[in-house]
Amino acid sequence: MSPGKDVVLDVEGARVQFEMDRGVARVLDDVDLSVSREEIFGIVGESGSGKSMLAASMLDAVEDPGVLSGSITYYPSPDEPVDILELSAEELRQLRWEEIAMVFQGALDSFNPTLRIGQHFQETLSAHNVDRQSGMERARELLSDLYLEPEQVLASHPHELSGGMRQRALIALALLLEPEVLVMDEPTGALDLLMQRSILSLIKKLQRKYNLTIVFISHDLPLVANLADRIGVMYAFDLVEVGTAEDVVEGARHPYTRALLKAVPNLETPYAEMQPIAGRAPDPVSVPKGCSYAERCPLADDQCLDVHPPYDDLTDEHRVACYYPEEAPAAIPLPFEDQSVERPDDPPEAAGAAPGKEGSR
Amino acid sequence: MHWLINRLGRAILTIVGTVSLSFVMIRLIPGGPLDYLRGQIRNQNPGMSSDAIDALVEAQAAINPDQSIVEQYVSYMSSVFQGDLGTSTWYGDPVNQILIEALPWTLFVMALSLLFTFAIGIGLGAVMAYKEGSRFDYTFSSVSIFFNSIPYYVLGVLFLFVLSYQMDLFPTGGRSSDAVPVGFSVAFLLDALYHAALPVLSFVLTRFGFQALAMRGNSINVLGENYLRAAKIRGLPGRRIAFQYVGRNAVLPLYTTLMISIGTMFGGAVILEEIFAYPGIGYYMFQAIDARDYPLMMGAFIIITTAIVAAILFADLTYGLIDPRASGGETRETY
Ligand SMILES: Nc1ncnc2c1ncn2[C@@H]1O[C@H](COP(=O)(O)OP(=O)(O)OP(=O)(O)O)[C@@H](O)[C@H]1O
Ligand code: SF4
Ligand SMILES: [Mg+2]
Repeated sequence: MSPGKDVVLDVEGARVQFEMDRGVARVLDDVDLSVSREEIFGIVGESGSGKSMLAASMLDAVEDPGVLSGSITYYPSPDEPVDILELSAEELRQLRWEEIAMVFQGALDSFNPTLRIGQHFQETLSAHNVDRQSGMERARELLSDLYLEPEQVLASHPHELSGGMRQRALIALALLLEPEVLVMDEPTGALDLLMQRSILSLIKKLQRKYNLTIVFISHDLPLVANLADRIGVMYAFDLVEVGTAEDVVEGARHPYTRALLKAVPNLETPYAEMQPIAGRAPDPVSVPKGCSYAERCPLADDQCLDVHPPYDDLTDEHRVACYYPEEAPAAIPLPFEDQSVERPDDPPEAAGAAPGKEGSR
Repeated sequence: MHWLINRLGRAILTIVGTVSLSFVMIRLIPGGPLDYLRGQIRNQNPGMSSDAIDALVEAQAAINPDQSIVEQYVSYMSSVFQGDLGTSTWYGDPVNQILIEALPWTLFVMALSLLFTFAIGIGLGAVMAYKEGSRFDYTFSSVSIFFNSIPYYVLGVLFLFVLSYQMDLFPTGGRSSDAVPVGFSVAFLLDALYHAALPVLSFVLTRFGFQALAMRGNSINVLGENYLRAAKIRGLPGRRIAFQYVGRNAVLPLYTTLMISIGTMFGGAVILEEIFAYPGIGYYMFQAIDARDYPLMMGAFIIITTAIVAAILFADLTYGLIDPRASGGETRETY
């Protein structure tokens, strides 16, 4: 977005639509996003907000019958743009995993149950014409980096490994072909708290060692805040706030981001103990014409309901899709911010919707 | 190893148990076969003394009247374990000889039936899954369900009547033509296939549908798996995905079905071989029941039981080789 930055992945107007009986579901709604080289970019949002769609779009891997449009540009070097959506099938096949790799949501069943872990590494090497000897050496190194016993893991079948081991083996497999970019969709979803935190430190370590660009997707804001350099917050199929981790956690300006933060008493609170935000996200078949958060927002007014808010660039790094970014902190106070003394008796459940409805009429 | 012995032991116990049970049933149950035989002889020879009738019954059932039932059981079982199934009262030949000569023919028909059932089922099921929701899928799903709902013996009788008697396209009985000398020649093989065609067709047509629908369901499940999506994005070649990913994972669950089909097919063979007058194990079993030839009946029964148990044991022992998730063995149960 900001010129002069070393962008590695540039997403512009990315849109995913599904033809359904009820109508057309737009599950990714003109998303713009630039990922800089060697950063960790975190994407958070509630379930169904389109995070996985955005992740899949980055590899042009949205599954049928979803249709992806817009433009996704990959920069192997700053002056060498590759338009991912224009690639031939074979070029795309090579780009995936060699340049941009992915760890899927539901990673625990990303291995073929009838093959050994080692066979997954080998078949990937030969599919991309990489020398098996040196490729397997890299596999062993990656597995050791992830605190796994290489020989033992390579000889195992998936069901013989614990969830955490499988998860780490999958990360090793994703890094096998030395990709520039690693997209991780909920890589910690199925793990317990301790395992989640230890995977995070491993991811940080790998990022530094291999100079990776990582797109890290989670519904767990505290988790992402601990890891990412920059954070994008998704709501109803689009990004509503993007900024550095400090911008988004300490200076959040979008009412939805603030509601998310308010639901978390402190950043160490596990996701499972968070309070839900009242109200429901819009249906992808009929997204409101105005701000998609208006129905749950305490600040919503007629303008919000009528016209989709454009991005407001607060700083070079920090942008918010909201008409009232300046008013948001006072309207949705956070317990760990000083201004929260305004309404100290607020129960945490009242994080938005009820007064929002009245305020908008 | 311990597990293997355990499995083998259980298999043998199953066989011994079933054989003993049928031995006892034949002899002891009131209104059982022996009483029936006795009644029949009495009806045909109203003047005969009951001692004479008993003697006749014992001769026909090959029972030694001087022995108690327990002694009879022990002596029968011990000769069975020595491989001696007695002498057929109807044919006058050793039961062993009759059954050993018949067995290859039954196995021939069953092997062909299984081969075609599974080849057609797996192939068709895979294509249906691949074209899920298409006209092809819809048509062949219906066809599969239709054929699967016809009993094999009904189709057998129909084939025999129309294709053999009415149209004279296939033989009405027998395993091979007298004109073709038995031996390893192409002519003999073709002749054997010609004779086996209708029984095999009756089996295959009434069974492929079940396998096709099972394969279709399994494949569709695999197509939705995460590992399949991951494999595609890793850029694996289409052939590897089709065989190592979809094929292997979809066929695996059919393996146990295959082995169990061997059992049910032996059961079906008794009836089909009778319909097509095809002298295999089933045919002789039917003849033996008709003629109250107990040694032959028991012998055929033992062979069929053993084959079924052996097939299931084989499935159990080899499943671990093809499905790594099952290789633990100890905690698994197939029967
Ligand atoms: N095959 C499909 N057809 C129609 N709609 C779909 C399909 N797959 C997903 N969607 C819709 O797309 C939207 C975004 O889905 P996506 O998987 O990206 O959500 P997510 O943010 O990753 O959620 P989660 O945290 O639960 O993984 C959802 O509202 C979902 O209902
Ligand atoms: S203030 Fe208006 S624009 Fe901002 S989030 Fe609320 S409804 Fe949307
Ligand atoms: Mg998701």
